Amino acid sequence: MSGELYACVHAAEFPAQALLRLRTDMQSQPVAVLDGPASQETICSLNRHAVQRGAVLGMTRLEAEDISGMLLLRRSAEVETAAHAVFLECAAMFSPRIEGVSEGTACGLALDIAGTERLFGPPEKLSARLRDEMATAGFRVSVAVSANFHAARMKATAAHGITIIPDGEEVRSLEKLPIAALNLTEEHKETFALWGIRTLGELAALPEVELVKRLGAAARDWRALAQGVARHTFQPIEPEFALKEYYNFETPVEQIDSLLFIGARMIDCLVARAAGRALSLASLAAEMKLEGGRIHRLAIRPAVPSVDRKFLLKLLHLEMGAHPPQAAVVSLTLTAEAGLSSKVQLGLFAPQTPEPSRLDVTLARLKAIVGEDRVGSPVLEDTHRPGSFRMEGFVVGAKSSALEIERSRMALRRVRPPRPVRVVLHAMKPVAFSDEGSRFEIESAYGPWKTSGCWWSLGGWDTEEWDALAANNNGEKFGCLLVLDRLRNEWRLEAFYD
Amino acid sequence: MPSAAALRIEIERTLEHRFPAALTPAPRIAREVAPTGVAAVDALLEGGLPVGAISEVIGPQSSGRTSLTVEFVAKRTEGSQVCAWVDAGDAFDPESAAACGVSLKQLLWVRCRREREVTKTKPWTRLDQALRATDLLLQAGGFAAIVLDLGDMEAEHAMRIPLATWFRFRQAADRTRCSLVVLGKTAYAQSGAEAVLESMPFQPEIVGGTVWRGCAFWVGRKRQRFMQFSGVRKPPASTWRADAAWETGRSA
Repeated sequence: MSGELYACVHAAEFPAQALLRLRTDMQSQPVAVLDGPASQETICSLNRHAVQRGAVLGMTRLEAEDISGMLLLRRSAEVETAAHAVFLECAAMFSPRIEGVSEGTACGLALDIAGTERLFGPPEKLSARLRDEMATAGFRVSVAVSANFHAARMKATAAHGITIIPDGEEVRSLEKLPIAALNLTEEHKETFALWGIRTLGELAALPEVELVKRLGAAARDWRALAQGVARHTFQPIEPEFALKEYYNFETPVEQIDSLLFIGARMIDCLVARAAGRALSLASLAAEMKLEGGRIHRLAIRPAVPSVDRKFLLKLLHLEMGAHPPQAAVVSLTLTAEAGLSSKVQLGLFAPQTPEPSRLDVTLARLKAIVGEDRVGSPVLEDTHRPGSFRMEGFVVGAKSSALEIERSRMALRRVRPPRPVRVVLHAMKPVAFSDEGSRFEIESAYGPWKTSGCWWSLGGWDTEEWDALAANNNGEKFGCLLVLDRLRNEWRLEAFYD
Repeated sequence: MPSAAALRIEIERTLEHRFPAALTPAPRIAREVAPTGVAAVDALLEGGLPVGAISEVIGPQSSGRTSLTVEFVAKRTEGSQVCAWVDAGDAFDPESAAACGVSLKQLLWVRCRREREVTKTKPWTRLDQALRATDLLLQAGGFAAIVLDLGDMEAEHAMRIPLATWFRFRQAADRTRCSLVVLGKTAYAQSGAEAVLESMPFQPEIVGGTVWRGCAFWVGRKRQRFMQFSGVRKPPASTWRADAAWETGRSA
């Protein structure tokens, strides 16, 4: 017993799988992926439904189009890169030591799983979980486990489903594999064909010395591979943890709902990957490439990091509704920032406050109703200019900023924007004013209270405030704030005392 | 000679088939209230505005209705609780609210858009926006108080709000233990409201004929459900006074 144990995971037809993993609606249809220059496109990858319809690798676009019901997609390097990152991320959940064993259009990874029994159980269980995890991410894979690296690799490439090769049974397990599994040159393939050697079992049975005499030193390695005893120095790769998903639409998409159909699947994958590392999504950035080459960007940042896919999707939906793309979308990239999973310590005597995730959705909905800049907490500006404030995002848990007030105060009701009024003066005091065609007699006016500032800039002000007690035609009395803008020489009704 | 308790039991037993408890006062349910921060009004309402119900503060312009509501919000934001102000007329003044003691960081202010800013995709009037926003906030829960400010809304428009809307709001407020305060010119929620306070201007206070230092307001209890009948036909009323913001006497 060597103490080594490898699990090899193999995803055949990776270009097709990468394109289809986010399109659950296409997975049951025949799909072929075309590659090459526009005039010489040929099929480079296809799914099993396409194979059943008679499509083969290397077929031209014209030939493929003759097959009824065949969906033809263009190969996308970006999609494959993003899918490969997800593929690697899934594998990294089971072992930190991973080596890439991709060949051609297939994607393969070998995992060093020695010593993981206490974490994931016996190899059978680990393989099943690995396969399920890959299926969740949208990949159909085969898995092989062996104490020999190459035996696991070759078996995963050739077999379907899960294969466990018991220690010492490598020769028997590999004996039926075709000799092509060894990556031989054409010349050597012909030689073996002439000798009548077609499987690895037949090659393993050949005497080593005679074989080396005829084919050279490389033949020793081939024989060792066929016997499942070839040595391998593991070269682990370090997967970079980046929460990113990309999808290139075959036709530009205009409807937000159609975008979110793919977006939901992308969020699912991002959430699953983050949750696999006990993390949550702290922010989500969407980058949409539009027709004409423009880029439309959106970002959502929940109050607390979350792995609730419905909640994140709802936030993205509301954000897209508030800021829709101005043209059809060609490709969609979702990039998430990982954050620590939120833990809220509830207290028996703690005051009731809105739940952060529900509040986020509520705020987004409110913004959709009244406008982006009209929802939040008011913050008073550090200035003497009357009525100046700015809106900031509403956050639960902000420390109290209230003054300690001993007596009740009168509140104002602002007139926004202030209404210009015509004021009648007597002895430099306002005695009446007209507003929107109505005349109001001022019983008493108190002032003027003069304020001015920022005279050195364009935003300067110089005003006189009058507190007026007025009455309308019906005799109803009210208190209001009349302001004379000395820079514009204009009277305005600014507020009512209420 | 039998004691009073024994006599009571005997009488009650005799009348049992006609009155379940003839001489025992009916048990009262202690309903949760939140103080308004104005002693006179709290006394009028026997503790404050109800929690988990709709209250209305009504009155004409300059009647102190906004000051009273702001006082209530200031009281509610004293702890770590949060409140919301749904401003149909965009009339809320953060400066005077802060001077009244409202913690602005704990206040969510929803400013409804003016009709002329309404777009094709968002064709709602201010009243529509305010009702939708209130509905969302009540459903979200967690707010100690929500003020639906219809103070500048014409009464004939606000009176068209269906009674079903108020009942829905009352149900949601009850479920989330939120005090929904409707600020308006007249009572709109009708039987949906648990308490209605009517406010009227009383008398401005002037110093030396030059400075307006505050105002006294009249406030009356127009309606209050679950209130014990006191035998007084005239609705109880009281007065309270509010200082102007520039009047000294506050400590930071």
